[in-house]
Amino acid sequence: MEAYPSGDDRPVAPRRAGRRWGLAALVVVAVVWSISGLEVTIDRLLNAPGDAWDVFRRMAPPAFSEAIDRGVPGKVLESVHIAWIGTMIGAVISLPLAFLAAGNVSPAWIRTPVRQLFNVIRAVPELILAVILIPITGLGSWAGALAIGIHSVGTLGKWATEAIEGVDPGPLEAVAATGGRWASSMRWGVLPQVLPVVTSQWLFRFEINVRASTVLGMIGAGGVGSELVSQLVFRNFAAVGAVLIMTIAVVMAIDTASAAVRQRIIRGGTQPGGPDVDDEDRNAAVLADLTGLPTGGPSSGS
Amino acid sequence: MATAVVAYTVAAGRTVGFNPSTFWQVWSNPLWEKFWPIPWDWVLDRHNVIEPLIETFQIAIVSTILGCGLALPVALAMSPLTSPNRVVLVVTRSIMNVVRAVPDLFWAKLLVTAVGIGAFAGSWALSVFSLAVMVKLFSEAVDGADPRPLEAARAAGGRHMPVVRTGVLPTVLPEYVAYGLYVFELNIRASLVLGLVGAGGIGRVVEAQRQYFRFDRVLGVLVIVFVVVFVIEQVSVAIRKRLV
Repeated sequence: MEAYPSGDDRPVAPRRAGRRWGLAALVVVAVVWSISGLEVTIDRLLNAPGDAWDVFRRMAPPAFSEAIDRGVPGKVLESVHIAWIGTMIGAVISLPLAFLAAGNVSPAWIRTPVRQLFNVIRAVPELILAVILIPITGLGSWAGALAIGIHSVGTLGKWATEAIEGVDPGPLEAVAATGGRWASSMRWGVLPQVLPVVTSQWLFRFEINVRASTVLGMIGAGGVGSELVSQLVFRNFAAVGAVLIMTIAVVMAIDTASAAVRQRIIRGGTQPGGPDVDDEDRNAAVLADLTGLPTGGPSSGS
Repeated sequence: MATAVVAYTVAAGRTVGFNPSTFWQVWSNPLWEKFWPIPWDWVLDRHNVIEPLIETFQIAIVSTILGCGLALPVALAMSPLTSPNRVVLVVTRSIMNVVRAVPDLFWAKLLVTAVGIGAFAGSWALSVFSLAVMVKLFSEAVDGADPRPLEAARAAGGRHMPVVRTGVLPTVLPEYVAYGLYVFELNIRASLVLGLVGAGGIGRVVEAQRQYFRFDRVLGVLVIVFVVVFVIEQVSVAIRKRLV
């Protein structure tokens, strides 16, 4: 009769408390050192929540009529245009590259550099691209569209590559059996299979790009961001509130509409019920975009 | 349908000034020469890049701790498994949805206006950003936690807080720490763009040199930042592998 399990089932020895305290001390030291560098005074710290709340309080009621007079709706639409053109640039450049990056249709010597290119592009945020591009293109929406377009190549290329790698090899073999060249097998064997998925990826990227382009305006790359900055500089908080609400409304409307279209593309129009707007999915893609952590895209999961 | 899309693309392209020849104009612009060569003695000087970079680290550490600390109770309140009641669940979910709907740089700009330009505002903005990201990541871990220890603790008559602390927290803690490191990594990256709106850190160097048209220096700073980000990512990935 054994009261305890024998052999390998022995319970794990408890962690040494010393190590835990050491780690905790390290964190405390790091935090104290950091706070010492941030010009924090007790006074500032205590006032900050009040100051922040004050700004939000003064946004109500939002000055919609003033915002409309200043042409904010047009600026919001400009942001949407920038995002659309950026997505188109990204789509047109990334699709051919994705064929070169896919493992099943492209040799290793060309696949590896193209994939590295996607990774490098994804590592540079749109805002940094815009900072580099603005002196070249001048201030304005073209800088924003180009920055978004270049950045989109990275993610769109990666997603499209994954889509191409998942195709059914049957049609490819059929084209090869009739003596077709590589280009024809891509055109007739692969493209029809991946086009629905890739189109929905473009739309998904468009949704992300709308968010990005609203921010790009803050550094002068066109769109609604500049309006937010100038109203904040004038401390015209009622107008800021209106700008924020209009931006969020348009972003959410586009998310909903685009998600509905994506769902029709992927699953067809037969599904009952309203559009399934998967907000988590979109944020996950933004995160994956920032770090390369595989937290899903439109092609993974649903 | 297709015609509508094409028509919209053409109209939108006209608004943003798209023209195929602009690609060539961008490519052949003589201003590119201003990005080269990188003035390494300026970039490697202590005051120019290293000190703002240290400030970036300080911002990232404070806001990671603050954001992730706040995210723990919020994420627990958001999960059906561990939420004290339905009202708390719905309220926290809606608040977090609003927080996420505002782009991160808008948050930064609002907070800069509220508490003044500098690293202090940046830490607040990044704390909000960390909170949003961490809640999103960690609440999924909580949702996916094994409910059986929780049920056992409840069946034994535990009250809500002790039940969550003993039934759920130990199982999700490694993920919590791993995501915390990940958020720290994100914060270092994000602080690069935060400086563009006056929220301190290395981004303010980029913004200042951009306004002096010293694009060679801008490029030098970007190179340093990408090296730092790469090193941190490698370290963080190594630690995360051991944790989860």
